[in-house]
Amino acid sequence: MADYYDINHILMEEEPVSVVFRVGANGAGLLDPGSENNNVEAGAKVELPFWLAQDLCTREAVSINNPTFYNHRIRKEMQADPACVNLRSRCPYFYELGCKLAPLVSDRSLGSFLLYTLRGRFKDILCKAHSIAFSATSKFLQLLTREESQLFDAAYTSMKAFKKWRLEGPRLEKASVLGRKRRREESLHAP
Amino acid sequence: MAGQSDPQLSLFSSAEVEFLAEDEMTDIIPNVRMDALNMICGDFGPFRPQIPAKVPLWLAIALKKRGKCRIQPPNWMTVERLTEVLDAEREAPREFQPLPFHYVEISRLLFDYARDDIPDIYLVRSLIEDIRDVRFHKVETGLESLDSRTHAVKLKNLSAMEVNLVRPFIVRALQTFYKHDTGDEQVSDGNSQPTPVDRGARRVLRPR
Repeated sequence: MADYYDINHILMEEEPVSVVFRVGANGAGLLDPGSENNNVEAGAKVELPFWLAQDLCTREAVSINNPTFYNHRIRKEMQADPACVNLRSRCPYFYELGCKLAPLVSDRSLGSFLLYTLRGRFKDILCKAHSIAFSATSKFLQLLTREESQLFDAAYTSMKAFKKWRLEGPRLEKASVLGRKRRREESLHAP
Repeated sequence: MAGQSDPQLSLFSSAEVEFLAEDEMTDIIPNVRMDALNMICGDFGPFRPQIPAKVPLWLAIALKKRGKCRIQPPNWMTVERLTEVLDAEREAPREFQPLPFHYVEISRLLFDYARDDIPDIYLVRSLIEDIRDVRFHKVETGLESLDSRTHAVKLKNLSAMEVNLVRPFIVRALQTFYKHDTGDEQVSDGNSQPTPVDRGARRVLRPR
């Protein structure tokens, strides 16, 4: 568990996914805001955070629905132009969550869809990171998921550092003490 | 490595790459008489006026700053040679021309400290800028073919600064691709462990 303390990993597991209960659960009405008594009926559709849904799914208590941001409409959009789709508003942990969900949902094509998305988008990230003006970065970053914005940052900061190095002036800085006028010895020892 | 500024990305800062470039040997023409210098990295000199000597770039710059020598610009740093290189760079969209590994850093150091020793400095400088721009653009377009099956990227004749500039991005991108690729296999193989060996032929991005 290398990423046990990784804050992004923790936040990713908080993402809500929609599940259907296969069995009734007594005393778990807390999970289902629509339930009238303290129980969740079998077949109830509930939104759970991913960490809980994953655990319940391995015990076969629930089945996980494919989240809406992996559905057909998004896939069509991706085919049209991967670089322009706003993934951050869909799910900031698009790739990580997809990786975790892929073995749990029945959708076989999810993994390859994620890969296709990443492949379509990453070239644009590199080109933009090297050429974009500072004022436009925040607008572009709004389209990217967490993982993508890390990639963008990596390329952007290295390009920025290079430009700074190329244009900087003389590298030897004058120590602050050197510029000062020396105080007169007499004034120190004046009676 | 101890000297790295950002160990997580295995990245050198530009100043660190420049430091490495200062070990390149250059020709100087001293105008003072001086005995040989015995340094840890080697002995340089003895220096006699108007007799060319070979020293590392850092020493050349130090002597130049004190007005004790003239730096001879390297033989690739001439207008004719650079024009040839620029034309060749523009004509071959997928290949890089052989230039010194540290050409970006060396040219910058010489432009900063020895501008009076380089003939046609403005032309030389703008040629080098052009070459660098063309090459950066090539790197960007070349990396578009990165893929989940990419294990290694081959970029022949790439210079230190160019590599250093794209390194953080490439490392992360390859890691991400690798992660998704292995995730993919886990799905298709059921629960068996993904085998790291033999995942498709090694992809060579640039023809040799």
